[in-house]
Amino acid sequence: MSNNNLFLPVGFPRAPLANGVGRWICQLQRLTFKFCKNYPSSRGMREFLEFELLDFTKKNPGIVVYVKPRRHRAPNLTAEYLNGEKQIVDCRNFSYEEVKKWVSLLRSQSGRGTVRLLKMWHTDHPSIQGPWSPFVNRDPKLNWVEFPNEDLSQPIYIEKSATEKLIEIFEEQQRIERQPKQE
Amino acid sequence: MVFRTFPLFVRNRGPDELWRKRRILKLSAHFHGRSRNCYSIAVRAVHRALVYATKARALKKEDMRALWDARLTAACEEHKFSYSLMRESLSRCNILLNRKVLTDLAIWEPRSFKSLVKLAWSRASQDGLNGVKELGEEPSGVITRGMIK
Amino acid sequence: MSIYKRAQQWTTFTRVWHLFDAKWQNPFESAKIIQKYLAGLHKPIYGPSADTGDHVVVINSKEIALPGDEWQKRVYFHHTGFAGGASWTFAWELHEKDPTLVLKKAIYNSMKGNLYRHTKMERLHIYPDANVPQEILENVTNQIRRPRLIPKRLDEYSEEEVEKFPKLIDYPEDYVIQKIK
Repeated sequence: MSNNNLFLPVGFPRAPLANGVGRWICQLQRLTFKFCKNYPSSRGMREFLEFELLDFTKKNPGIVVYVKPRRHRAPNLTAEYLNGEKQIVDCRNFSYEEVKKWVSLLRSQSGRGTVRLLKMWHTDHPSIQGPWSPFVNRDPKLNWVEFPNEDLSQPIYIEKSATEKLIEIFEEQQRIERQPKQE
Repeated sequence: MVFRTFPLFVRNRGPDELWRKRRILKLSAHFHGRSRNCYSIAVRAVHRALVYATKARALKKEDMRALWDARLTAACEEHKFSYSLMRESLSRCNILLNRKVLTDLAIWEPRSFKSLVKLAWSRASQDGLNGVKELGEEPSGVITRGMIK
Repeated sequence: MSIYKRAQQWTTFTRVWHLFDAKWQNPFESAKIIQKYLAGLHKPIYGPSADTGDHVVVINSKEIALPGDEWQKRVYFHHTGFAGGASWTFAWELHEKDPTLVLKKAIYNSMKGNLYRHTKMERLHIYPDANVPQEILENVTNQIRRPRLIPKRLDEYSEEEVEKFPKLIDYPEDYVIQKIK
């Protein structure tokens, strides 16, 4: 299901929480199994119909099941819901397990159908620490400063010039030269 | 259908013309001038619009990413740190926050963001990443107990 | 919006006035920095269509330093629109006529050529020296750091420092040093 379909209806994610609180009503009204008796693409569907279908119908007496053998056609599952929504699942080359899973999904779905979901998150309080402002990370010492200030306009990192490095080496040398005399 | 002559039969396009055209004109309702009402003009405009919409899906993601990068660079510079170093350090600390979440923190949770920057700075100076020394002394108050490795 | 939220909105979107001292700085390097503040790219709330830019007051633009021989070589082109109205002005000539223009053009040309440019330039205030009108200086609350260090001139060193400085060689005693007047 592509989210970018222009003709897809739009809505917020919802959960039909009322269904199941007192009594759970299965929203699936009709399930139609269309398959081919010969072609290999319907194999999974045929296996499902052979092994699982009767158990499924006994467990779900409220769902009307139609089985439509249609020669040389791709197999499909058509689910019709109590609110009138229709969902068709193309089962071509499905395995037996896949058909089983799809059937259980269609059975447990609410009849809302496929919908492009809108953003669910909304908050009236997006910030706990307080939103950013130019004063949040401001050093309070700036309040006492008279602008223009010479110290504040210096670059943060001042690379040591060659002269300074030489002076350091010279002083280190001097210190080393002095040491043996003291000993 | 009954066609009185063969040419009429051949030229028949079918009964669905209204619905085919309505599908296009529904999408051109907000266009300018004849593009919204006249099918032959609308169909071209609608196709262009759909092509732009398709191409823009990737562009939107690029734009958002560029915006997040700009905002995070600004937020890091405010704390006198470098964005690239922050990203590297956070990934080394196994803090896998993406740009979107980091931007949200920088705007709505500035103190949390500051602590992330401090942590990243400690890790960067611990690992001796390129460019940390030029930023000056690392901020104090980061208690790692040797756990950021 | 509630009163609290409105006040919060004002706080977040306050327009801050920054000061930049352009003494002995490369105008093109400074332009990159200043342009960011004018655009609002120093704020995490930046948005391209949201006008988050700040004001920048630049002082000492008379004392900018162009790299290399750009003072002699860089030319600024102008056309009046009339026939034969093309003119090329050297950087030093332009600086003599108006000491704020070299920096102003550097900042203008470092920006993208979109419709926000003029609005951003209106928020830029350049002064050739440190004399800034009081109304503008009152608004300033932050100073932008310089990109380059101003080196110390030889005559700025005190005599003690000169004597302390380690020498490699020294002039022989009978050497005559001619003082340049």
